[in-house]
Amino acid sequence: MGKKVLIIDDSSTMRKIVTRSLRQAGLDFDTILEAGDGVEALQVLQNESVDIILSDINMPNMDGIEFLRQKAGIDAIKAIPVIMITTEAGADILTEAKSLGAAGSIKKPFTPDQVSDIIGPLV
Amino acid sequence: MDWEQHVIDATTEVFSTMLMMEVTPELPRLETIEPFDHSITGMVGMAGQYKGMLAIHACDQVAMAITSNFLGLEVDSLNDDVKDAFGELANMLAGSIKAYLSDNSRDIQLSIPSAVCGQNYSIDFHPHRRSTMVPFTSAEGTFLVELQLEHQS
Repeated sequence: MGKKVLIIDDSSTMRKIVTRSLRQAGLDFDTILEAGDGVEALQVLQNESVDIILSDINMPNMDGIEFLRQKAGIDAIKAIPVIMITTEAGADILTEAKSLGAAGSIKKPFTPDQVSDIIGPLV
Repeated sequence: MDWEQHVIDATTEVFSTMLMMEVTPELPRLETIEPFDHSITGMVGMAGQYKGMLAIHACDQVAMAITSNFLGLEVDSLNDDVKDAFGELANMLAGSIKAYLSDNSRDIQLSIPSAVCGQNYSIDFHPHRRSTMVPFTSAEGTFLVELQLEHQS
C-alpha cells in the first residue's frame, strides 16, 4: 500500500510549498492529505490512516501543540510520527512539542535537503 | 540592537531559501508610505516582551510575480493565493525576527498572519514605536519590509 502524509497548516501556500519540497526531496508519497488546523486534522484522521503528519504550530482554532495533546489521547493515531514545520523555533516550544510526542521539527524557511534529512528516516 | 540588519538577514534568507530569489537591500526609508496605492501588505502582530508588527508591502504586479515564484504557478490576479502567500511571507519573516530578539519563544507571541490589499490604504503608525522600513530590489521589482517594535519594560 502506498505511503500517505497529512500536512496541517492554515496557509494553503505553505501546504503547497511543503508538498513541492517533499517531491524535491525525493519523498514520493502516493497520497497527500491536507488540513487547515488541528480540528480539521483530527477529523481527517478519523477516516484516513497516514504514515506521517507534518504540522505547523501557530494556527487558529486548534494549534499544533494542542493537536499533539489531543492526538496523544487517541489510541488509534497516537503512534503516528509528527514533524513540526514552523516559524516557532524557540527551544521551549519545541521541547513541549517533543514531550507531547513530536518526532522532530523543521524551521521555516527550509530547504528540500532539510526536509529529506528529517522526514526521510521516518518513512 | 541593529534591527535593520535583522530585517535584511531575515528577508535575504527567506527569499533565497523558499523562493530561490536573490534580493538586494537598499537604504532604509526614513518616512512611512501613506497611502499605499494598488498594493498588498502581509503582516503579523507581535506581543509580549516586544510589541509591534512585521509587514511586507508590494505593489500588485510585484506581489503577483513573487507569488508566482513562491508557488511555481502563473498568477494573473490579486487572488487569495497572493494574500495567503504574503501573509505566510510575513509569518516567516516575523519568526526569524523573533528568534533574533529572544532565545525564549514564550517571550514574544506572534499573531495569525493577515493580508490587506487595495487601491488606497494606510497602515497605522505608532510614533512611540521604533520603526524601520527596508526596500529590497529583485528581478521581480521592489518590495518593502517594515518592522515596528516597542520594548515592553
